[in-house]
This record gives sequence, C-alpha cells and structure tokens, in this order.
Amino acid sequence: MTSRGTPSRFLKSVLQNGVGRYVCQLKRISIMFSKKGQTSLGVRDFIEDGVVDYAKKNSGTVVYVSPESCNKPRIVAEYLNGNVREETVAGKTSSQVFEVLTKLTSQSGLDVIRIRKPFHTDNPSIQGLWHPFTNRPLTPRNDDKV
Amino acid sequence: MALMATLRRTCCLLTSRLCALPLAAARTRSSVSYDLPLTSLSRPPWRETRPVPEEELRRQHAALTSAVNRRIEQADFGRLFAVVHFAGRQWKVTDEDLILVENHVEAACGDRLRLEKVLLVGARDFTLVGRPLLAKELVRVDATVLEKTESWPKVHMVFWKRHRFQRKRIIVQPQTVLRINRIQVAPALT
Repeated sequence: MTSRGTPSRFLKSVLQNGVGRYVCQLKRISIMFSKKGQTSLGVRDFIEDGVVDYAKKNSGTVVYVSPESCNKPRIVAEYLNGNVREETVAGKTSSQVFEVLTKLTSQSGLDVIRIRKPFHTDNPSIQGLWHPFTNRPLTPRNDDKV
Repeated sequence: MALMATLRRTCCLLTSRLCALPLAAARTRSSVSYDLPLTSLSRPPWRETRPVPEEELRRQHAALTSAVNRRIEQADFGRLFAVVHFAGRQWKVTDEDLILVENHVEAACGDRLRLEKVLLVGARDFTLVGRPLLAKELVRVDATVLEKTESWPKVHMVFWKRHRFQRKRIIVQPQTVLRINRIQVAPALT
C-alpha cells in the first residue's frame, strides 16, 4: 500500500537509549523448530554450531530453544518496549538464520512502518526562532504629521 | 523570465531615481526652492555603507576574535549546535538528537563514532563558520549507533494503462539510527 494508506510514526528511541549507555533492546529470543522436518535443517545446524556463541555474545538477551512438531520453524523476538516480532526461517541455511538473528538483535522494538522525518530533536532552536524583526535595526520613522 | 522582468523593473526604478534627482534639482534651481516630500523611494532600501579603513577593520576583527575566544575559554555558552556532513547530506545537529541514515554504517550497535566533517558550530552568542570545514582540533562531534534495521517495505510499481504492462517490486533499504551524544569546542577537547 502507499504511505498514505499505511500507518506512520516519527523517529524516536525507546527511553532515550544512547544518551547515557547503549542498551540492547532485545529481551527474549525463542527458536521453535522441529527435530525431523526438512525445513528445519538450517535451524538445527545453527543450533548445533552458533547458538551458544550468540547467547554468550549477547548476554542481555535470553535465548529459548524449543523443539516442537511444526511445519514452519520460526524465531520469535520480544523487545523491551513490549513489541513481539516473528520471523519464519523455513528452508534457510545456518548462515541465513544467523543473519536473521543479527538483524533482530540490532533492531529496537519500534514498529517497522513509514518514518515521517529522518531526524528528531528536542531543542530545534538555539539562537532563537526567526521572526520578521530579527536582524533588522530599529530606525525612527520620519513622520510629516505632527 | 520573472527574474529578467524584476531585473528590468529594478533597473528602470534605479535609472528613474537617478534621473529624477538631477531633474528635480534643475527644477528647484530654476523655480522657487521647496523640499521634495520623503517617500519610500527617496533613497535605496539598502543601508549606506562607507568604505572602512584597513586599520579599523583589523581592530574590529581582533576585538571580535578575542571576545569569542574569551567566551570559549570561560565555557559559559550553553547548548551548541553543529552542521555536519554525513552520508551525503548535511544535518543540523545538537546534543541528544536522533538521525536516520538510509544505508549501512560499518559499525556495530552501541559503537561510538566521531563525525569529522563539521561545517559550522554555533552557540547562543557566537557562531564558528568553516571554509568549508572546521579544524578537527577545534570541534568534536560524538555519536552512538543505536539500531540498524530495515526500512518499511516500499512498493515500487510501474503501470501503463491500456498497455497491459505493470511491474511491482518491494524495496527494503537498510537503515541506521545514530544518536548525537555531545558536541565539544576547544579548549575542552583532548
């Protein structure tokens, strides 16, 4: 749909992240896969190789790995602001699953919709807002009327 | 076209003004002397500037630079803003504000960056303008990479009516959000 027909938001951060310390916004990651399905092959390989390293690297995120009988393996990411994002990883290789995970980690939980302006300031004016009398000298008028 | 018309109009105005004064002077000399009423066109709208001697100019510049240096040393200027060239665009930037860049920045989330191309730095009372850039020893702009996402899926569609031609493509661009942490002016710089 066009940008007029879809919701939009302004650029913002969750609780002024970055002003003091940077906090990774990903709270919880759940990887659901099946032990025997063909589509979960890449996920199973990733769980063998890379999950532990990923969990150690992102110590602020909790990783849940749950095997269940499902056709479509998926990754559910929960963020600190309460948003939940689900990505299907059916038919992906191990490296592709890792890419999906890094993408989810580097996102904040804000909605992926049109962002109206690519900047955000709380103090837009420092030297004062312009009005028609800025930088104009006050000159006395020469009136003929008494 | 409009520009040429306005130029011609201003030229006519100027010539008419220049012609009117000597004509009026000629008339006053010949007939009874009277003062022309002052109108908005009696003199040009710009200020009258007389050429300033070099000594005076040098003194003014020295006074200005010493005043600005004193302000910077005392460090009582308050909030600073800067115009920074980054990712092919110029941004007017203060402390604690956010910037969205529509491409991939080679830094992980949480890394601190230093934005080096600073064109202008200003405070409430003074501004430092670079030609075109300011020295790196003079200004320091620090930023943090907050998030690296993808944009919302933009629809790129081509449709020709009555030709049975349409193409649809979904474009997703990488985005990086930066937070400007701090802007510093010397002598607080390392």
